[in-house]
Amino acid sequence: MTFSEDKPVMIEFRDVHKYYGDYHALRGIDGTIKAGEFFSLLGPSGCGKTTLLRTIAGFEGISSGVIMIDDRNMAGVPANVRPTNMVFQSYAIFPHMSVAENVGFGLRRDPRTKAEKAAAVEEMLAMVGLTGYGDRAAHELSGGQRQRVALARALILKPKVLLLDEPLSALDKKMREHMQVELIKLQRQVGITFILVTHDQEEALVMSDRIAVMFEGGIAQLADPETLYRRPNSKQVAEFIGTMNFVPATILSEVGGKVEIEAKGLGKVTLDETQSPPPRGEEPVVGLRPETLTLLFPGQTTSERKVDGLIDEVIYFGDMTYYDVYLGGTDVEVRLSMRNVPGRPILDVGTRVEVAWSPEALVLFR
Amino acid sequence: MAQSQSSEAKTGYMLVAPPLLYAVLLLAAPLATVLIYSVLTGENGAVSLPMTTENFTTVWTGRVYQAIMARSLYVSMLVTLTTVLLAYPIAYFVSFHVRPERKALWLFLITIPFWTSYIIRVALWRTILGYNGIIDSTLIGLGVTSEPLNILSYGVVSIIITLAHAYAPFAVLPIFVSLEKVDRALLEAGQDLGESRWTTFLRVTLPLSMPGVIAAVLIVFIPTVGDYVTPELIGGGKVPMIANMIEIEMLKKRDQAMGSAIAVTAMSIVAIVSILFVLLNKRFIGGTK
Ligand SMILES: Nc1ncnc2c1ncn2[C@@H]1O[C@H](COP(=O)(O)OP(=O)(O)O)[C@@H](O)[C@H]1O
Ligand SMILES: [Mg+2]
Repeated sequence: MTFSEDKPVMIEFRDVHKYYGDYHALRGIDGTIKAGEFFSLLGPSGCGKTTLLRTIAGFEGISSGVIMIDDRNMAGVPANVRPTNMVFQSYAIFPHMSVAENVGFGLRRDPRTKAEKAAAVEEMLAMVGLTGYGDRAAHELSGGQRQRVALARALILKPKVLLLDEPLSALDKKMREHMQVELIKLQRQVGITFILVTHDQEEALVMSDRIAVMFEGGIAQLADPETLYRRPNSKQVAEFIGTMNFVPATILSEVGGKVEIEAKGLGKVTLDETQSPPPRGEEPVVGLRPETLTLLFPGQTTSERKVDGLIDEVIYFGDMTYYDVYLGGTDVEVRLSMRNVPGRPILDVGTRVEVAWSPEALVLFR
Repeated sequence: MAQSQSSEAKTGYMLVAPPLLYAVLLLAAPLATVLIYSVLTGENGAVSLPMTTENFTTVWTGRVYQAIMARSLYVSMLVTLTTVLLAYPIAYFVSFHVRPERKALWLFLITIPFWTSYIIRVALWRTILGYNGIIDSTLIGLGVTSEPLNILSYGVVSIIITLAHAYAPFAVLPIFVSLEKVDRALLEAGQDLGESRWTTFLRVTLPLSMPGVIAAVLIVFIPTVGDYVTPELIGGGKVPMIANMIEIEMLKKRDQAMGSAIAVTAMSIVAIVSILFVLLNKRFIGGTK
């Protein structure tokens, strides 16, 4: 489905555990990262993203399990000889060196001549948009520039894997969005595997080919952004990535992967296997994203299913309007974009409306 | 704004006035006296006009003076080198390998030598290093040697041991402070970029701790050049340094003008060396935030 599928494996985790004393920081990590992939580790603060990244870099040993990079077991391989380079969260720019010296730091043992190395540094600076900054002192740089230096310093060594620990979190919103685009472009240009740690789900969705969502030291789901968004495999993942309505449901029958349910306020629906991830022994609910729902205005028809509702609350955002709609026994949030429907009035609280929904948009959690 | 600033300045001057007076009386006045004496003619414990540069000519050209000056510099440089080389690993260990909550305790322990007076410590070193002293009797007892080494008789070595011990805490502290300021992520960055722990130390930690090292060098070098007690008691007067020579001129020969000229010369040498180091330090500080 995505471009990642036919790529060779770059990193493989096999049942990786990490303890800090008694604290179980990584609890059985399994999975693969493909060559040339833009991969993200996404999860709330403290879930072990940095720890996992540092075990790849070799700064942190693992308590059990195997980490393979490019078909080589990394057990006992120190950080300075691993084929990885890191962009640190604090950027870790050497304060006693100029920009050019920082970028050229890793070239000491490179057999090339001084002039060739200087040219390589210049080329790298040009790539990250810092042409002419070589002689600047490190402390004269802004946050965004420091980050570019950190990127250039790591990429000049042509690592197999570039590790980025929340590289954008220190930047302001505008700069962050700009750097997201730059990073994507840069990754396409160099073709190196990027592993990005972030707690920002939007950032992960925008930038990544695939994402591992982590909770409490484990990977909850590893998938491409679309699957993650449309087919989260648990309530926890669904809630962490965007917003989801949860509607209580009863399971009526289950035949060959197809599950027939009765969802409160929506009625009977049959779901296919992609819509019903493995059961976890919870109370069954169906999830549906607010933007998959729409309100029918007078005279409008739909090929989707519809249900009567009553508007409970209205929140107006300008480009979007959020409605809370009561559907006989349950409340759902509906998000309407104003973009495609100019001139449409904002509905008032208490208005009776028809809500159109599509069975394909549902996911069953149980 | 301007008014409040000037009234603030007034308060500031009032606040610094007492210590300023104290500094003028106890530092500037004696210093001025020494400067003036150094260009007068001295005899029988008194100075008189006319002004002359003869004292300086004698100090700068006299063989004995040159030799003692050179030895003072040489000994205090050796002391400084030894002290800083010993202090660096201690500071490094406390900064990098002691758990944060234990660091204060370690620094406290390092100051223990200060709990006894300098003179007593010097006297103790005599007992330790001297003929049939603790080292000699231990080594003979263990059968390592049969003759007493009498380390005390190697004047310079025993002076270095004594002074290095005395000044080590002064050297440990500034180095420790500069090491504490080294961002630990930089060390990981160094290794990430292909350097081993050792080469990361050489390329990152050491240069970043240079301001502390240079501060330590100055703190040890400046007072040891003019140290009087140790060469007197440990060197047995056999290895006189500048301070001992000043004493001889001032108190034994009762020529205060010559003594002052030597003192001024010594101060100038220390000042020049210090300025060189401060300039060197600027290079490193210039690179840091
Ligand atoms: N060196 C360490 N010693 C003890 N606990 C640690 C250490 N590093 C991280 N942890 C703990 O491991 C957990 C995961 O940390 P981390 O990987 O930094 O999380 P994240 O990057 O996802 O925010 C946290 O609870 C943290 O307190
Ligand atoms: Mg983190």
